[in-house]
Amino acid sequence: MAFLEIDGLRKRFGQVEILKGIDVELEKGGFLVLVGPSGCGKSTLLNTIAGLETITSGEIRVDGRAINDLHPSKRDIAMVFQSYALYPNMTVAGNISFGMEMRGVPADERQKAIDKVAKVLQIGHLLKRKPSQLSGGQRQRVAMGRALVRDPKLFLFDEPLSNLDAKLRVDMRIEIKRLHATTGTTIVYVTHDQIEAMTLATKIAVMRDGEVQQFGTPAEIYNNPANIFVADFMGSPAMNLIPATIGGNGSGLAVVLQREAREPISLPMANAPAGLSAFQGKPIIFGVRPEALTDPEGAERNASHIATADCHIEVVEPAGSDTFAVTNLGGKGVVARLRADANIQPGTSTPLAFNLTKAVFFDPATENRIR
Amino acid sequence: MSAVATPARQASGGVNVKLVNRIVIYGLLALFALFYLMPLFVMLVTSFKTMDEIQNGNMLALPKAPTFDPWLKAWGETCVGLTCAGIKGYFWNSIKMVVPAVLISTMLGALNGYVLTKWRFRGATLVFGLMLFACFIPFQSVLLPMATILGSVGRFGVTLQNSIGTSFGLGNSTVNLVFVHVVYGIGFTTLFFRNYYEAFPTELVKAAQVDGASFFQIFRRIMLPNSMPIFVVTVIYQFTNIWNDFLFASAYAGTGDSMPMTVALNNVVNTSTGVVEYNVNMAAAMIAALPTLLVYVLAGRYFVRGLMAGAVKG
Repeated sequence: MAFLEIDGLRKRFGQVEILKGIDVELEKGGFLVLVGPSGCGKSTLLNTIAGLETITSGEIRVDGRAINDLHPSKRDIAMVFQSYALYPNMTVAGNISFGMEMRGVPADERQKAIDKVAKVLQIGHLLKRKPSQLSGGQRQRVAMGRALVRDPKLFLFDEPLSNLDAKLRVDMRIEIKRLHATTGTTIVYVTHDQIEAMTLATKIAVMRDGEVQQFGTPAEIYNNPANIFVADFMGSPAMNLIPATIGGNGSGLAVVLQREAREPISLPMANAPAGLSAFQGKPIIFGVRPEALTDPEGAERNASHIATADCHIEVVEPAGSDTFAVTNLGGKGVVARLRADANIQPGTSTPLAFNLTKAVFFDPATENRIR
Repeated sequence: MSAVATPARQASGGVNVKLVNRIVIYGLLALFALFYLMPLFVMLVTSFKTMDEIQNGNMLALPKAPTFDPWLKAWGETCVGLTCAGIKGYFWNSIKMVVPAVLISTMLGALNGYVLTKWRFRGATLVFGLMLFACFIPFQSVLLPMATILGSVGRFGVTLQNSIGTSFGLGNSTVNLVFVHVVYGIGFTTLFFRNYYEAFPTELVKAAQVDGASFFQIFRRIMLPNSMPIFVVTVIYQFTNIWNDFLFASAYAGTGDSMPMTVALNNVVNTSTGVVEYNVNMAAAMIAALPTLLVYVLAGRYFVRGLMAGAVKG
């Protein structure tokens, strides 16, 4: 039995259904990231776990106990808000101990707990300050301190890093990851940033329009996206989704990609998924991540199945660590990720290696994966 | 040569026009200010003059031999109606009425604002709209219905007095006025606090809920300590309005020992016996005006901005 279980959770505001039957579970000590575009219901889902929103139907269980009818303070959870939500009239110490004060914890115990958390987060020197006297990163730490001090069963984070600048965000991300590793707490984390999702999570739930599109480990989500939405949403730069057709000769199937003013590329498939044969002669969406489309020298040595084809390079973007090249296939701009020192010029043709072991195929009608 | 000079002349002409404009604007403002301050000036100087000086001298002249006697007389000896014990008793009547009325209406407004923004219920907007509507009801239109209600409450008070020995203040004129002003003030105080709390970060309330704070604990520990600016605004507004009110005061406490300052002042000035003591009248009027002034000065100090800095975001 999982530690956090959400069963068939539905949430309705009047006629509008915000959450349409969410089923998610998380093991103890896990890190679940709810990720999706704005308005997908991820924050609402988090608020229902916190008890700040009621649910229409379904059940939320923590450690085997149904909590969906309990008051937020009785759920043994702690929450870090997007805006930090520090009480401006209280000192840092007051902010951290407010929850304990409300629960009637004696003053000396409160002090002990404050000191312990302050040590973990290195905010001991800030305890007497007001939130207005803190920097963004310090406020973030205090907000986490307020959650940590409760020692709850479940931590909830609502886009905690979205108000920080880019560099601080990366630092705090690592800090949260370290915190999770050292304290072994169970965390549910909401973000719209797929990099945060990939780096932090042990489990990811990709959401859209109140539905979980795919639920799995970061590697599953990244390498085996269930549909076009997940494939497109996760990964930066995004996966290339190229309109293609399935051709075939006697020996096997081939992916046929149209090119401008040149004959199509035909990539022979040695280990095509079983479902693909039904699409022979029909259009499909061919998905290949930029790192699986590279210069032949840079291609993965141990990839079992690589096809090479000449491509016309339109744009070259040197990004420092990598060089991105844009070519046109199937009427769409397609991004290839090359080594930083790849010798490549825009306006020329160059061979690119397609790592077909990593390629995925989608049905354009249902947008689902062809397996 | 001329081609070079023209822009320079235009520029200097521009400066002149600007200067003239400034002089006209500030001149007019000074004139208006003078016009506005003149009555206050006349009141103030008259209140320090003797009756001889008032009758024989210039109204605008400064007092030749300033004296506090008119003030002392107004405070302790002047006649209000038939009793000649000064206005001090009525001054305290007003204080006894204003302080509870201001505090109760302000607290209720804060509570209403808190509920209407942070604990939204079905129909909250309608309720707020109706409360807002209360701000537009003319005083005169509630005079008679309110008199009827106060009459019934008074009779109930008498019944209580007869049966259990105490009326709980029901029927007392001061209590009546407090009640009327609280009822009439709730619309305004609710409006002030609702608009302030509308912009108050809801995440603070949610955080406090997760921390286990109850409805009133959140109100007392989170909302109120962060409401200083709107609290001060509301107190100043309510204090000024209730202290200066004459209509309700004269209608519901217009006679007897419990009449507030404004009614008493009117009675002082309207005394028909003997010489009109302008200096005493002016002093009494100044005394009646002082508390509102004091509230502005004292409360204004706490009117600090940026109290919410650091609550949310960076």
